[in-house]
Amino acid sequence: MEDRRIGVFICYCGGNISDYVEVEKVRAAVENEPGVVLAKTQMFACSDAAQDEMISDIKEKGLDGIVVASCSPKLHLYTFRAMSLRAGLNPFRYTQSNIREQCSWAHRDGGPFATEKAIRIVRAGIARARLSEPLATMRIETTPKVLVLGAGVAGLMASLTLADIGLPVFLVEKEPEVGGWTCKWGGMFPQGNGSDLVEGLLKKVKQREDITLFTRAEIIERTGSVGDFTAKIRVADGSVVSLEVGAIIVATGFDTYRPAEGEFGYGREGVWTLPEVKEWLAGNEGPLAVDGRPVESVAYIYCVGSRQPKDSELERPNLYCSRYCCSSALHTALQIHERNPEVHQFHLYRDMRSYGKYELLYEEASRKGSMFFRFENDAPPEILAESRRHIVRAKGQLEGDEVLDIPADLVVLVTGMVPRQNDALINVLKLPVGTDGFFNEIHPKLRPVETVMDGVFIVGASQGPKTLAESVASSLAGVSKSAALLKKGYVDLDPYIAMVNAERCVWCGKCLEACPYGAIEKSVLEGKEIASVIPSLCKGGGACVPVCPEDAIELKGYTSEEITAAIDALIEQVAAPVP
Amino acid sequence: MARVNTDFIDEVRRSDGFDATACMHCGQCTAICPMGLDLLPRRLFFYVGAGLEDKVIENLETIFSCLLCRLCEENCPRDVHIAEDVRFLRNYINRKVHKLARI
Repeated sequence: MEDRRIGVFICYCGGNISDYVEVEKVRAAVENEPGVVLAKTQMFACSDAAQDEMISDIKEKGLDGIVVASCSPKLHLYTFRAMSLRAGLNPFRYTQSNIREQCSWAHRDGGPFATEKAIRIVRAGIARARLSEPLATMRIETTPKVLVLGAGVAGLMASLTLADIGLPVFLVEKEPEVGGWTCKWGGMFPQGNGSDLVEGLLKKVKQREDITLFTRAEIIERTGSVGDFTAKIRVADGSVVSLEVGAIIVATGFDTYRPAEGEFGYGREGVWTLPEVKEWLAGNEGPLAVDGRPVESVAYIYCVGSRQPKDSELERPNLYCSRYCCSSALHTALQIHERNPEVHQFHLYRDMRSYGKYELLYEEASRKGSMFFRFENDAPPEILAESRRHIVRAKGQLEGDEVLDIPADLVVLVTGMVPRQNDALINVLKLPVGTDGFFNEIHPKLRPVETVMDGVFIVGASQGPKTLAESVASSLAGVSKSAALLKKGYVDLDPYIAMVNAERCVWCGKCLEACPYGAIEKSVLEGKEIASVIPSLCKGGGACVPVCPEDAIELKGYTSEEITAAIDALIEQVAAPVP
Repeated sequence: MARVNTDFIDEVRRSDGFDATACMHCGQCTAICPMGLDLLPRRLFFYVGAGLEDKVIENLETIFSCLLCRLCEENCPRDVHIAEDVRFLRNYINRKVHKLARI
């Protein structure tokens, strides 16, 4: 082993780590590890000041490898790589040891073991760092075109904006018509009409030569990687077209919550969900009537299918708030007030979340005579039948638990958004799905439209419930991320890819079968058939490594030697018992 | 159990004299009432808004005990004309219960 000069930086994370791990003890336990010339602790390793300190340490001490023991590499891998680069250190000679997510946070119940475990994790990091080699990123040319999946308002807006930037777009819609839910819903808050909106966008899309719209079409296969994807699309006539694109924007939207039969009386005439009421309002101009009977009284029940309790009997309760429903129900009430001021409207809510500017809708509805009653979650309203009318029985929490019987001709179940069932798409794109069933972004604040699949962006309500305004904002975020990726003309890929030992390889094809990215191909070297790796396709997944019977395939940066060394360090006894 | 009577709501609505639509049930009026009335304005407005005429009439004594001092009104964050609304209800009760002609 060469004589290494390794620096170790251990982070307090302002208590996130140090509340459970005795950071100074960790430092003392690792400072004399072979190859370590410097071991320090820092309050926040990611702060600018701490990074500056690391940079001068690397330069002054001539470090040729560093270990940062802090959070998950998912959070700050690139932060410290960039820092290494600024310090003149090859960024692939920096090793991240995760002592937060995988240690302190997992051991919040106390006990001395968190510190012992942290020592082991940091030692493993040092063992890997000792073997780390300078690697170079790989540059690939990008295809300056984008595939947009879903032609709702988010998808239409993304396509138009990409075309404005000068990136040609393929827009793929599963349904025969574009516009998704928006074009069915008529009037939308705070103003405007959904179908007019969609019509205007579609007109613009049709005028653009650089946008190709496919309806009744679906993606069936995707190969390639960031900047250089090939997507196969089954189009309306059943044929398959192959598209070369640099980025993929997923704007597949949401579904509306469908109450179970009998849930708040659902299934009876005049007990409708909010989307059904919106379609009904959009589709009739005349006097409001249900089943031939004029609507004199309307009751709204909020939070149907949203914010369901964790301990409910449902298999997967919807724990989240759908954000748009309160405002949308208030807007619907205003439409009804407008059409017939005589109608009585009663709103039974859990919490009124008409946030931001939409608070004005609440104000206006209440001025126009809408009555609001708050009910408690454990005492939801009941729907009772009465000759051709419904009686909504509710306990008004702010009214001293007075039980009210509200006669209603129309009961509106204010339902929220649920994830769209899209297993085929998830499979084709390998999209990450969160516990709520919506697609998962990498970072909720800083990387809101990016996924773990580089070059695949999730926008609009496919990522989580949003109002239309928020959905469009998200779609434009996807546009700017795509443009930032493609306008540069190239991407630099991690060098952590597989490499084949040509001498050992006997070409059995097992690695080819194991690779989910199609990154292995057969090649011939000096008359011998061997496996070779297509660098731009290899994601460094490592599936090929354990299946090789000849140990002829290794992952750069994760070689068997490095992993074995890390495991040995992990299981090595921690010398002094940590109390 | 109280049944919402939309006819009563309509009757009040038609009169123009009563308007508590801005009330958000915060209870400021309750906290400040120097009479410590049994029935607090916000509850009263709820009875009217929900069309619970019987409840309003049941509380006739309280409605007539109000001093109309407007301390509540002065402190109402939503600018509800509380005293005006109480006066309207007295008028309503005079007609409905005491059978007095409207003054």
